[in-house]
Amino acid sequence: MKEEELKQIFLAEAQDSFEQLNRLFTQLEKNHADREATEAIFRIIHTLKGNAAAMGFEDVASVGHLLEDIFSEIRKGNIALTSMVFNDLFKAIDKLGEMIEGVKVNKKVPYKGMRAKLKVILRNLKGEIEFEATQGGESSEKKDKELDQSLQQKLEGELTESQKEALASEHPVPLGVPLADEFSDDEDKKSKITFSDFVQVPVAKLDTLLNLVGELAIEKDRIIAQGASLGATNEYTRLYRITSDLQYSVMGVRLVQVGALFHKFHRIVRDVASIENKKVNLDLQGTEIEIDRNVLQIISDSMIHLVRNAVSHGIEGPEERKRNGKKEQGSIQLKATSDKEYVIIEVIDDGNGIDADKIRKKVVEKRLATPEAIASLSDDDVVKFIFEPGFSSVDNVTSVSGRGVGMDVVKKAVDAVGGKINIKTVLGQGTTFSLSLPSSMAVKSALLFIINNTEYAIPLSFTEAVISVKKSSIHKVGGGLVTTHLDDTITVMFLRDIFDCHTSDELQNPQLLHRSFDQIEDPEAKINIVVVSVDNKMIGFVVDRLLQQKEIIEKPLGKPVENARFISGATILGNGNVCLVLDANDISEFLFKPTFATV
Amino acid sequence: MNVEEPSNASPSREERIAEAVDMAKVTIDDEQEKKSNIIVFRLGEEEYGLRIDQIKEVVITPRITKIPLTPSYVRGVANIRGNILAIIDLEDKFSLNNTINETSGYTLVVESHEFNMAILVKDVPNTLSVADADIDYTPAVVTEMHGEQDYINGIIKIEDRLIILIDIFKIITKDDLKTVLGSKI
Repeated sequence: MKEEELKQIFLAEAQDSFEQLNRLFTQLEKNHADREATEAIFRIIHTLKGNAAAMGFEDVASVGHLLEDIFSEIRKGNIALTSMVFNDLFKAIDKLGEMIEGVKVNKKVPYKGMRAKLKVILRNLKGEIEFEATQGGESSEKKDKELDQSLQQKLEGELTESQKEALASEHPVPLGVPLADEFSDDEDKKSKITFSDFVQVPVAKLDTLLNLVGELAIEKDRIIAQGASLGATNEYTRLYRITSDLQYSVMGVRLVQVGALFHKFHRIVRDVASIENKKVNLDLQGTEIEIDRNVLQIISDSMIHLVRNAVSHGIEGPEERKRNGKKEQGSIQLKATSDKEYVIIEVIDDGNGIDADKIRKKVVEKRLATPEAIASLSDDDVVKFIFEPGFSSVDNVTSVSGRGVGMDVVKKAVDAVGGKINIKTVLGQGTTFSLSLPSSMAVKSALLFIINNTEYAIPLSFTEAVISVKKSSIHKVGGGLVTTHLDDTITVMFLRDIFDCHTSDELQNPQLLHRSFDQIEDPEAKINIVVVSVDNKMIGFVVDRLLQQKEIIEKPLGKPVENARFISGATILGNGNVCLVLDANDISEFLFKPTFATV
Repeated sequence: MNVEEPSNASPSREERIAEAVDMAKVTIDDEQEKKSNIIVFRLGEEEYGLRIDQIKEVVITPRITKIPLTPSYVRGVANIRGNILAIIDLEDKFSLNNTINETSGYTLVVESHEFNMAILVKDVPNTLSVADADIDYTPAVVTEMHGEQDYINGIIKIEDRLIILIDIFKIITKDDLKTVLGSKI
């Protein structure tokens, strides 16, 4: 992340902390025994100090550090607050605010006097109660010195000679004596109120906003469609532009950088690697790529799973790596790239890869497929079995991976946001998982079509082609239907057949998928097929009539129909009708599930 | 309770809706007397009632989109004020004679954060203010009905009318809906 951006985030947080401190101090002044306020102040100052030190803002960190010391003692009950102290504490807080403001405009605020004053307060407060004041003071001063040193190290090289001199000249200030220039204009500064340039907004509010914009977009479509029939299209161009600008702005507000998630993996990789006694280097790329916050949240667990797997199962131990002529240190790369409406996140390891033959054995053991069937599949197809529910290729369950959360859960999460997951593996060289995720959940392009006088939509991310074939070129094979598309044999199904069913039992009828096909008598009849690709399988959905391609806003179905089969959600069309969005994954699962295939 | 009135409705409907609104207002005023406001509607040949706080509004039934593989009493989903609601046909659910016409009837939108649903009814429902004394919570009568007792709250008897007071959430949380819909993992 860029330095400037970090600074902005720090400032936003610091200003927020500053305001909270002001509120809490006022609260504490009214009631000196308010433990909650004391705790909160301690916590806030601690965070502020930590952030400031990490950013190298030594002034904020140093004053923060002293305040923290004071409150640490108050918290422990070692010192009690008096009204007199409060004036000084408020001044210290004001100073802190001033310094934060100073960071913003890159202006140094003198602070050593305040620091000295706080030290005196600390000493006096303690002295009033106990006589071991020196001891406490020393430890605090020792810490203070350490802090100063570390900060000094950070700053070394950055400061010009004149600045160093200025700093040095500030040192010999007698304790407890305020510097004239520091305190003279206090009154002016107090009356100045600063506002952060950032606003924190709960995600729920953004969701509401997005829903409203979605409805507006639907209304817009409706009005424009009406206008078009009256021949007044030009009137609406402005409306069209403003609403779509608004829509994209709201979507933009929800975007966060993938770095927000990626950076958490430094720690995760380190921890897992140390448990497994492996050496792993994590490399992050494309952290500035932006993606919808909710998408990132939904797939975050899956990402953790993938990365943990990569460390514990992908990367080999150091000895094994040496034996195989690799560097001792394994490498995991998290890479984000942007591709139109999609963000592609890749988890790349240079470990041992996945052994297709091991998977074959496992698949047969777990009875996920017959030995004949699995033998006929290519290695690439075999590897995809790791996404099947109930499949876990590891022989030993470790504390890191294999706690019942399988790759099927990862796939489910990716499916849930309308994404796709792919796996490339080369035995001995490594594995790449690539997740193709929609950058925004709100709007997706979809193809609309009609079955039984009802509109349905399927996301364009699934569709490969739209073809029209004669009835005679569709053939019955087993319980299903097939046709040829670009020299490939693809499964064809009349969506009408499964949509007409009322119960799950009807779905098991072996003749089900032939029903509509048999009703068509003319062998020359044209049949419209939408070819979709799910998990690299091609399926042709037969539809009654194709409508158009359209941007839709998909909403999940609520209770009580939230689990409706074959449907992932619904959208409202310009004419006010509800249009169901097909869940191509679920239909594919139904078609290729062993229960049905064996009938 | 709001009553929506689309522009294409006939004046007689408007009047009836206005009447219903007025009644609702009047009955709310009377609340001090320990009375319950009940929305009363006809299903088959019987009168059914729902407590007013379970209903958000009454609208003219919008176009319904069928959902595959749902029980027949789930007629589908419809767009009501930008929300996608499941439309429930209680006549089908209670195996009563079908009197509701999907294209000319009304829909009661259920007030709930959890459920997005609405109930089909034939006419604009009436609002009735019922004294608690008139509600007969008689489990002895209702337990004899096959497993339906848990969503029947009681029986309201006023003059010679008999109104079955039901709890809409108990109907929907019953397991039968879940098992059919939950076939997807």
